Amino acid sequence: MVEYYQPTSLQEALKIRSENKVTPYAGGTDLMIEADENLCYLFLNKVCEMRGIYEDAEYIRIGAACTYEKILQSELVPQILKDAVSQIAAPAIRNLGTMGGNIGNGSAKADSALVCFALDAKLQLSSVSGSRLVDIDKFYLGRKKLDMAENELITEILIPKADFGRYSYFKVGARNALAISRVSFAGVLSLKDGRISNIACAFGAVADTVLRFKDLEKMFLGKTLAEASAIKQDFVSAYSQSIVPIRGRVSMEYRKAVCMNLLNEFLSQSDI
Amino acid sequence: MNSIDFVLNGKEVKFTGNPAARLLDVLRDDFRLTGVKCGCKEGECGACSVIIDGLLVNSCMVAMGSINGSTITTIEGYCETARYAVLDKAFASVSAVQCGYCIPGMVLAAECVLAKTPHPTEDEIRVGISGNLCRCTGYNAIVNAISIAAKEGNGLW
Amino acid sequence: MTMNIGGSVEKKDHAQKMSGKALYVGDYPLEGVLYGKLLHSSKARARIAEIRLPEIPEGYFVVDKNDVPGDNNVNIVKDDTPVFARETVEYIGDPILMVVGPDEAETERLLKAIEVVYEELPAVLNVRDFDTVFFEYDFGKGDIEKAFAEADKVYTEQFETGYQEQAYLETQGMIGEPQPDKMTVHGSMQCPYYVKGAVVRAMGSSPEGVQIKQDTTGGGFGGKEAFPSILACQVAVAAKKAGKPVRVIFDRREDMEFTSKRHPSLCTYKVAVKDGKITAMDIDVIFNGGAYTTLSAVVLQRGIICSSGVYKVDNLRVKGRAVKTNLVPSGAYRGFGAPQTFFAVEMIMDHIAFDLGLDPMQFKLDNAVKQGDATSTSGIYHFPVPLPEMVEKIDAASGYREKRLEYAIAQTGRYRRGVGSSMFFHGAGFTGSGERDHIKAVSKLHKYPDGSVEILVSNSDIGQGLKTTFSKIVAHELNLPYEKIIIENPDTDRVPDSGPTVASRSLMTVGELLRRAAIKLRESWVDGEDQIVEERFKEPDFLIPFYIDKFQGDAYPTYAWGVNVIEVEVDTLTGVSKILGAWGCFDVGTPVDLNVVLGQMEGGYLQGIGYASIEQMAADEKGRIRNNSFSDYIIPTSMDVPKLEVIMHVEKYPDGPYGAKGAGELPLVGAPGAYIGAMEQALRKPINKAPFSMDDTMKVLQGVKL
Repeated sequence: MVEYYQPTSLQEALKIRSENKVTPYAGGTDLMIEADENLCYLFLNKVCEMRGIYEDAEYIRIGAACTYEKILQSELVPQILKDAVSQIAAPAIRNLGTMGGNIGNGSAKADSALVCFALDAKLQLSSVSGSRLVDIDKFYLGRKKLDMAENELITEILIPKADFGRYSYFKVGARNALAISRVSFAGVLSLKDGRISNIACAFGAVADTVLRFKDLEKMFLGKTLAEASAIKQDFVSAYSQSIVPIRGRVSMEYRKAVCMNLLNEFLSQSDI
Repeated sequence: MNSIDFVLNGKEVKFTGNPAARLLDVLRDDFRLTGVKCGCKEGECGACSVIIDGLLVNSCMVAMGSINGSTITTIEGYCETARYAVLDKAFASVSAVQCGYCIPGMVLAAECVLAKTPHPTEDEIRVGISGNLCRCTGYNAIVNAISIAAKEGNGLW
Repeated sequence: MTMNIGGSVEKKDHAQKMSGKALYVGDYPLEGVLYGKLLHSSKARARIAEIRLPEIPEGYFVVDKNDVPGDNNVNIVKDDTPVFARETVEYIGDPILMVVGPDEAETERLLKAIEVVYEELPAVLNVRDFDTVFFEYDFGKGDIEKAFAEADKVYTEQFETGYQEQAYLETQGMIGEPQPDKMTVHGSMQCPYYVKGAVVRAMGSSPEGVQIKQDTTGGGFGGKEAFPSILACQVAVAAKKAGKPVRVIFDRREDMEFTSKRHPSLCTYKVAVKDGKITAMDIDVIFNGGAYTTLSAVVLQRGIICSSGVYKVDNLRVKGRAVKTNLVPSGAYRGFGAPQTFFAVEMIMDHIAFDLGLDPMQFKLDNAVKQGDATSTSGIYHFPVPLPEMVEKIDAASGYREKRLEYAIAQTGRYRRGVGSSMFFHGAGFTGSGERDHIKAVSKLHKYPDGSVEILVSNSDIGQGLKTTFSKIVAHELNLPYEKIIIENPDTDRVPDSGPTVASRSLMTVGELLRRAAIKLRESWVDGEDQIVEERFKEPDFLIPFYIDKFQGDAYPTYAWGVNVIEVEVDTLTGVSKILGAWGCFDVGTPVDLNVVLGQMEGGYLQGIGYASIEQMAADEKGRIRNNSFSDYIIPTSMDVPKLEVIMHVEKYPDGPYGAKGAGELPLVGAPGAYIGAMEQALRKPINKAPFSMDDTMKVLQGVKL
């Protein structure tokens, strides 16, 4: 029998990860498309520490091996993330698939990663030598390139506990189930004392990584809705220049048009 | 670890082959449970659906090593149950089975819909079977059959 | 129980399929069976200069054209499809050789280690660039020049349709089993005797030397009409060489990329209108046949015969060509050429109605044929044409007329709605004299001493319910319980040739033979005796003889009719369209089993909706089909349509069993016209192609010319 590892504790998992050449396996729904029988898997689906959802003072902490179905059932998870997760694939895949796997796979089409970008989520990466927190946008270094060492595992996804205010999640797939995103959008906007205290606009499945332009968002920060409305055209045209889609199952032009439409719609819904 | 132990259709079994093998292939080739159909091997059609620990999954998307300690039900095990008998009658009453290739997976998807929601709405049924492609029926008859089963099997789920 | 024709019973194959016990070809035990894997051409057109093989271990075999004991041409309509590629390959996917062996992984390793040296040749990859015409037909009637000269207005437009993949859930698969005295091949198929003819020829054997058995088949839709003949020849040749059973089961990507699909089409219509009536049509139809002819001749024949739609066109000229491209051979798919031309004719009728300021449904009805009118081929619509009644029924169910007016008013806001309609027929059974001249169907009933009766026919139940409907007919005539009727999957050693399972012919034609056989058996019934009765096809005597060289006469004895209405809502931000409602009124004569007929109508209708909307497939600049998986070739899920509303209308056909007509193909035919009609209304722009994607919709919304 070929070796395989099915640890039940995180400590055990990290030890195996550091000592062996293994492929971390959370839900398997990406890995098993290729199903390379020569891989030695580190199965994470029984690691208790990676399967729960809980909160501390600052964050909602989602175990990286927590299935989409569990995320949907949790009362702690913000609705915008549930909106995204509920549209992933179909029930049988949601019963297996995990956010850790979705993010760790490094695809710009990962629907849960998009929401993480919009919510300024952080990833907890752990190894035998300790843990570190990485901002989600720093984690993606390029197409399928991740800031993750050979001996590390994504163990948790940390969503800041904040009032995300108005939010919008929109996925364009080829059909209503079992659909890979062709364009996806996640936006959040919150006000404090009548001024925009937080805004995030993230675009998925458009380029090699999720697109979010924090510099452009700053145009609106600290402004009232009326002030933001006054510079809306500048804001939108700045996005129009910044979003450079790649061609895929749909054309670049299509992706661009939909990104701009969804951005405009989000702003309108936010009274901008 | 030197064997993968799990419960398959009510019996304790052992697997000592490659832990990276697909559950689908092992069920079909090693355990000869050919009611588990292969339609794509990419998690896109649902023909290979089985129930693991009470949840519907595509068996093509599962590596053997991940199921150590799990309980698995395939159509071969499920068709011995009282719930199956209700679904069987319901599917027959509206002739929901055409080519039949999606059906074992579809039946298990129906079981999971009803286990979660004993009296589902049409939309809930459609969501529940949305990962199970059927090219023959247009889904009307299958959705009807599951509704009928929910009524006739009152109390079973 | 007495069989209630028209009602519904538990399907004969229900229990086996429901419980997962039915054996499909991939479900047979693997002991002693070798795996076969095909090496497909990776070039669209090339001469094979050299094939470099790795060392082939003991027990493994490489099988190619030199191993074909008989003729390396697959017996389809013509002789050009090879069992294994000849000196050249003609499309990406052309089967060059097969590696056969006892271990699947090793077989695949060997396959990957084979190096083919190609000398590439110029390839035709765009249908518009064709240089070889496989088939060309012309026909017409009346005085077309005069009609165009006298017309109030002339409309000219071109329409394009894409591939459609059958996407049966069970892929192609076949097992060849050498026996001491013959070759047995069994697998997934629609037409056991087609397969037999092909294997006999490839093996150079006598008819007795080949046995073909259909296994439970996981859907066909035309995709298992001709292709299984090719695969069966390949496994038979391999099994003969290896001296052991060989099985080939395609994986999904192989199946989607390399097996036949619906012909893409390019149709140009010129239509004359005078006093609000269509007076002439000049139609040019081009079907993309792909690399080999396979079934293109017959697909094209049906396509062009249907090209003037349900309309009375006294002056008609039709030219049809099936052309060669270096792409996967196109083939049969439910509707068989008719969905393409019906789409074109329905769209141009919509566009003319729009231009004339008329409601398209009324305009179509005003121009539709009536009983006694001439067909496109100067035959006659011998039976009532129930379109007016069907329009009333569908309008009552769908609210079409009201919605059409409501959505015609300029819409604002994110979501825009539209409703479209189509009218269509399906010519029931084989085109022309095929049934009389070529098929000559024979059916048998075998009564056993215990009083049970076995149906012996070569038609296969591929999900459409033939085992059930055939059994009902026989039980009804013999006053026997349904359970006393036996029907197994066809085995050419046991069943006569009652023809292929195609053209919506099985129930209407073979079902009627069985009805007559049952009457014969009833009249000669002797308790306790073993009895066999046989019945042969007889052409109905009302037919005007059809001549295929002139396209003259009754191409079909009767027609099944349909009217569709589809309502959509387009999201202008994303170009995504949602189907709000889909209604279909269908006349397939008497339903022998209502559930079975409803299942056919609903399933076929959804395939048609998919064809018009989300089912995109195209070859790239190298000639490779990239939409080769269920994640790239998108078929509808349960969440993509609401409940399909099917309304039956019954116009009985006296020569079909109890009045039944062909049913299976009809529901697919009209969906593209109705769907695109609805999209046009929502977008307020004419559309000339199907499928119409969200990308296309966005272009229209942005004012980009398509």
